[in-house]
Amino acid sequence: MSDALSDAGSDVNQDDAQEDVMTPAELIAKLEEAWLNEKFSPELLENKSEVVECVMEQLSHMDANLQRVKKGDAKASIHRMEIDRIRFVLSSYLRSRLRKIEKFFPHVLEREKSRGEGDPSLLSPEEFAFAKEYYANTETYLKAVALKRMPPNLQTVDMLKAVPEPCLDSFVFLRVKDRQENILVEPETDDQREYVVDLEEGSQHLMRYRTIAPLVSSGAVQLI
Amino acid sequence: MDSSEVEFLAEKETVKIIPNFSLDRIYLIGGDLGPFNPGLPVDVPVWLALNLKQRQKCRIVPPAWMDVEKLEEMRELERKEDTFTPVPSPYYMELTKLLLNYASDNIPKADEIRTLVKDIWDTRIAKLRLSADSFISQLEAHAKLDNLTLMEINTIRAFLLDSLNCMYKLRSNLQPGSSKGQFTDY
Repeated sequence: MSDALSDAGSDVNQDDAQEDVMTPAELIAKLEEAWLNEKFSPELLENKSEVVECVMEQLSHMDANLQRVKKGDAKASIHRMEIDRIRFVLSSYLRSRLRKIEKFFPHVLEREKSRGEGDPSLLSPEEFAFAKEYYANTETYLKAVALKRMPPNLQTVDMLKAVPEPCLDSFVFLRVKDRQENILVEPETDDQREYVVDLEEGSQHLMRYRTIAPLVSSGAVQLI
Repeated sequence: MDSSEVEFLAEKETVKIIPNFSLDRIYLIGGDLGPFNPGLPVDVPVWLALNLKQRQKCRIVPPAWMDVEKLEEMRELERKEDTFTPVPSPYYMELTKLLLNYASDNIPKADEIRTLVKDIWDTRIAKLRLSADSFISQLEAHAKLDNLTLMEINTIRAFLLDSLNCMYKLRSNLQPGSSKGQFTDY
C-alpha cells in the first residue's frame, strides 16, 4: 500500500519537469500568489491557466493514486488533507475570478476584444465562454422584463455604460518582492505635491492600485 | 478576506512535533515530510501537526518565541516604541490561538502566553488605529506598513479601504470637471 503512495510522490515530481522547470511546491506557491492577487485587486487580472491546469493535473494524479490505496491508511489521510487544502485555494481563486467577470462583464469582454494579437489573453477559454453567455443572458433578461415594454427609442441599453467599471483608484495593501525605484505617488488634493517613493524588497505599503497595477502583473509586488 | 483564510495561510507555517508513531517519508505535492520516528522531533506544517495532535499521535514543541520571558520583553518594547516593532512570526496571533486551543497541554504557562500575546496584539491594534486616523486626516496617498502582519492588516482592511474610497468619491465629486469624478461603483 505505501508503495503506491511513494510512487505517487516521485511520479508527481517528474511530471512537472515539463516546460519551465518548476517543482510542485513552487507551483502551489504560484497558485497562492495568484489567489491573493486576484482576491485583492479591484480589476480582473490576467488568467493563469497554465498554473491552474498544472495544479489540476497534480490533484487528479494524486487522487488516482489514492484510489488504489486501502481505506484507513495513515499516509493516504495526510495526502487527502493536502489535496483538500490545495483544492480550496484553487476553487477560491476561480470563484473570485468568476465574481469579477459577473461584476464587470461588458468591460472584461471589451478589453478582451481590444487586445492585440500577441498579447496574453485576460480570460481562459472557459471564462470567455462564461462571460459571453452571461452577457447574452443579461441582455435577454433585460429585454424580457423591461425593455420591450419601453418606447422604441429607449429599447437599447449600452452595457458598457450600464455596468460600473472596476475602480482602479482603490487602495490596496502590498508587499514588495523585487525592489522598485521611483514609484510616483499622486497627490490626494490639489494643494499637495506629487512625490516618488522607492519600494524596498520585503517592505509593505498601502497605496492606490492604479500606480502599481503593472507591478502586480509583472509579479514584482504581491497584494496582501 | 475572511480571517479564517488568514488562519488557513498561517497553517502552512512549520512547527516541530514529537511523534509517537513511525511512518516513512511522505511525498506531498507541497514538499516531502518525515520520516516519522517515535520520540524524534520532526518539522511539519501546522495543519498536520494539529491533526496529529487531535488524534493524540504527537506532542507539539512550541516555537522558540512562544516563551513568557521573550514575550514579556516584546510587550515592553511594543509599549515603549511608537512604531510597530518586528514580530517573532508573521502569524504570531493565529499560531498562538491555534496552538493554545488545540495543544495547550504541550505549552508551558499557556495562560500567561495567551495574556501576553493578547496584550501585544491590543497595543499594536491601538497603534494601527492611530496611524489609520492620521493617514486619513492628513489625506495621505501612500503609507509604509513594515512589520504589520496579515491578520492585523486584515482587521482594518474592509473599514479603512471602504472609507478611503468613499472619501475619494466625495472629493472627486467636489472638483467639477475632473475626469475622475465618474464614480459608478456603489
